[in-house]
Amino acid sequence: MRWSLTTAIVIVLAYSVALILVDEFIAKPWRRRRWQQRAARGDAEARALLERARKREPALEE
Amino acid sequence: MVTGSSTSEEKRLLYWLGERLIDYRLPVTLAVALATAFFAYCAFQLQLVTSFGELLPQTHPYIKIHNRFAHTFGGANNIMIMVEVKDGTIFTPEVLNKIWRMTEAIDTVYGVNHNQIESIAHRTVRYLKVAAGGTMRATPVMLGEVKTQEQAEEIRRIVHNAENIYGLLVSLDDKAALIRANFIEGRLDYRRIFEEVNQRVVEPFRDANTDIYVAGEPRLYGWVYHYAGDVLLVFVLAYCIEWLLRWLYFHDWRGALRPTITGVIAAFWGLGFIYLIGFALDPLLLVMPFLITARAVSHSVQMHDRYYEEFARHGWNKRKAIVAAFAELFVPTFSGITTDALGVLVILLVPVVMLQKLAITAAFWIFAITISELLLNPIVYYYLKAPEPEIVLVREGGVFRRAVTAAVAAILGPRGRFVVVGAWLLATLVGAYFVRGLIIGDPTSASPLLWPDSAYNVSHRRIQDKFGGVEPLIIVAEGLDRDAMKDPATLRRMERFQRTLERDPSVGYSFSLADIIRAVNSVFHELEPKWGVIPNNWVDIGGLFFIYFSGSPPSETAKYVDPSYTTAHVTFFCKDHKGENIRRIIRRCKQFIHEGQLEDLGIDVEERDGRTVVASLSPHVRWERAGPSWMVSTAEHAGEGPFRPGDRIVRVGRTPVGNLQSFEAAMSVETANATLIEFGLERDGTTTDATVVAPWKAVFKLAGGLIGVLAAANEELFRNDVLMNVLGFGTMYVIVLFTYRSFAAPLFLLAPLLLANLLVNGYMAARNIGINIHTLPLVTVGVGFGIDYGLYIVSRTIEEIRQRGDAEAAVRAALVTSGKAVSFTALSMTFVTALWSLSSIRFNAEMGSLLALWMAISYIGAVTLLPVLLVWVRPRFLLREAARAESGS
Repeated sequence: MRWSLTTAIVIVLAYSVALILVDEFIAKPWRRRRWQQRAARGDAEARALLERARKREPALEE
Repeated sequence: MVTGSSTSEEKRLLYWLGERLIDYRLPVTLAVALATAFFAYCAFQLQLVTSFGELLPQTHPYIKIHNRFAHTFGGANNIMIMVEVKDGTIFTPEVLNKIWRMTEAIDTVYGVNHNQIESIAHRTVRYLKVAAGGTMRATPVMLGEVKTQEQAEEIRRIVHNAENIYGLLVSLDDKAALIRANFIEGRLDYRRIFEEVNQRVVEPFRDANTDIYVAGEPRLYGWVYHYAGDVLLVFVLAYCIEWLLRWLYFHDWRGALRPTITGVIAAFWGLGFIYLIGFALDPLLLVMPFLITARAVSHSVQMHDRYYEEFARHGWNKRKAIVAAFAELFVPTFSGITTDALGVLVILLVPVVMLQKLAITAAFWIFAITISELLLNPIVYYYLKAPEPEIVLVREGGVFRRAVTAAVAAILGPRGRFVVVGAWLLATLVGAYFVRGLIIGDPTSASPLLWPDSAYNVSHRRIQDKFGGVEPLIIVAEGLDRDAMKDPATLRRMERFQRTLERDPSVGYSFSLADIIRAVNSVFHELEPKWGVIPNNWVDIGGLFFIYFSGSPPSETAKYVDPSYTTAHVTFFCKDHKGENIRRIIRRCKQFIHEGQLEDLGIDVEERDGRTVVASLSPHVRWERAGPSWMVSTAEHAGEGPFRPGDRIVRVGRTPVGNLQSFEAAMSVETANATLIEFGLERDGTTTDATVVAPWKAVFKLAGGLIGVLAAANEELFRNDVLMNVLGFGTMYVIVLFTYRSFAAPLFLLAPLLLANLLVNGYMAARNIGINIHTLPLVTVGVGFGIDYGLYIVSRTIEEIRQRGDAEAAVRAALVTSGKAVSFTALSMTFVTALWSLSSIRFNAEMGSLLALWMAISYIGAVTLLPVLLVWVRPRFLLREAARAESGS
């Protein structure tokens, strides 16, 4: 199969966008839900992790 | 330079710099974006081009000879087209007409030298025809298309009686004919030549009974360009897999994107620069940009990993994390980039324009990583949303982290250390065993650029089988005066040269003016075989040349001899271009030329105590005085000459002489164009000068043709290979020395690299990959591979030892933090680089595999041998940091 440069660029861009969308809208919410469910079930590790994650310095988004 | 053992003041400076980059993010971004846009525009103008002249070491004496005579005697860019019939012979009207039309078609291909086409159907291939009345004239073998079988039989009779055709352009079994065409170097357009040969010369004439095979350098490069599109497939696959791996590693798309930004910006700068300095990309060097981008991505992964770590450490404060990651990794990143860039620059030593351009562009490209990775990095992070803290925390307990921690425990455990050192010792022995077989030049007869079963290599092999040898080595016989080529002694020497070299198993056959004169003399004497000799005097020889060449224009005869009969050539058609065979053939040529000169001078020399001494004198060479000089003479009164047995030759011309080797070199240099040769002779403790009139009419000069130019390239590579390695490692030593302000630190970092180098060279030898003009830059870049890994680990160890005070704990901490990112980078990069093995271009596939192996070995050395050495030896440059930390606390 012989590809042109344009085809290659289009493929990598489309792939990158697809991966970003999968990460933002599927993978991350799923991961977060899973940890929250574990914490709700009383998993100490999950609770500690979420608690530590919430301890932010005030200047997070400067 | 700010160093890995930087003081707190220097660290403060880096933190300050990180802050200012964020403060002034708009002007910095604007400046970088404008420059990147400009370079990107230039990058898209780039084309894939191979300039044959730039592949040659132009200062080498062989190339100078090649350049002077390529346009007349033939260069290195020949295409051979073999027409082979399955049934019958080529001597039928149908096949001969096919050869005729193919010959006409090749004459229309772009860039062909119209006077250097050889085929029984071309005007320049002639035979001597005796006409009524005893007149003779050289007539083309075919004057037009053949209409009857009788005409075809007549052509067969002509071919069988012509020494310059039978076996050279028609195979001895009459089943194949060869069309050989030379292309003008300045007009080589490999893609166009490839297409036009296919469309005009091959496709229309191939049928059930006729096979057509095409070989030669322009064809080979044509195939390389044909397959060059593979690079896009490899690029897309590598990109997609790398993105996926980075996403899985960082648990966030930003981790996949950030290294891409670095790689793309550096690539635009690098490719744009290549265009700006008037260079083009060679399809055989496409692995190189890939490799540099891989390094850019590698630095970026380190930075992103550190950013996560600092983000957690600074209580999810993005700005603090950005600045800390920048300041803490500035030193190893900058040192790694500088080492890589300066390491590549050592390629400048090889006087090959393409390699020198490559060295400059690769160094610039690598330095461009500084812009995209260091200058822009804090700004990019500033604009990107920070990762979710959960993600950062989850990663810390992930599978990869746990695997790395377990591996570190095993490596640094009491048994693990012995296993590591023992394994490396064993690997060193294996590498040292195989590396002895490493070859400069090509190790195989087929082209190593393409796979053995590729269409090109099948054709090449078939033509070699049928015609014995097709790769020319042109030795120029340059006369000291006009008409030198009519001198019987010169022609006999040429003939003897042919017979001597033909004994070499790699030489198929040869051709020179002597063949023409013998054939013409034989025809002149009614084909009596006993007259197939070189006449004894100038007049007869001149007459025979007149008969043969009188009907041909100078443009046609120039491929045999120049119009003044001053210069001609002996061409040897070799069976392959293996590095060792080229070296042997060239050595035999030099030996023949040197021995011939000594024979003409009537002396025999030997080496005594490292000096060149006249051993004996020939009774056949007699001398007389000609003013202040000596000349060989056949006069009655001629007698002894300037030489006496026992004389030490201390000088030839201006070149001092020591042993026999230096004498041979001095003779080669000083007799090149001289009619008078000065010898410094030491006799009975006193030195006298003797000036001798050159007793020969012509001097043989090396070397043109494909074999000649490859010999020159191989000699240059051999001369510079060791020096480049020494300078490459020397550069790394100096940079690491300044980075850590320690003479010992570079030794720890370079030890795994040296061993990796040894192993990879051993692998090259075992896999029959020679060092040549294409492999050299990749091999040189590969040398510095592991240094980045080592720099990150040692810098982190220094950071950790300042806090922990214990060397072993510091090394462990460095391995599970920086070592983790190193492991991810090395493993993922090794995997994607190995994707090159999918390429249809064997060279790219093998180079990809080789570099993947190099990355893997360098990585293993950096995460096993280096930490074990640090823990065992506990070098002072580490311990002093611990002491500094204690005194500080």
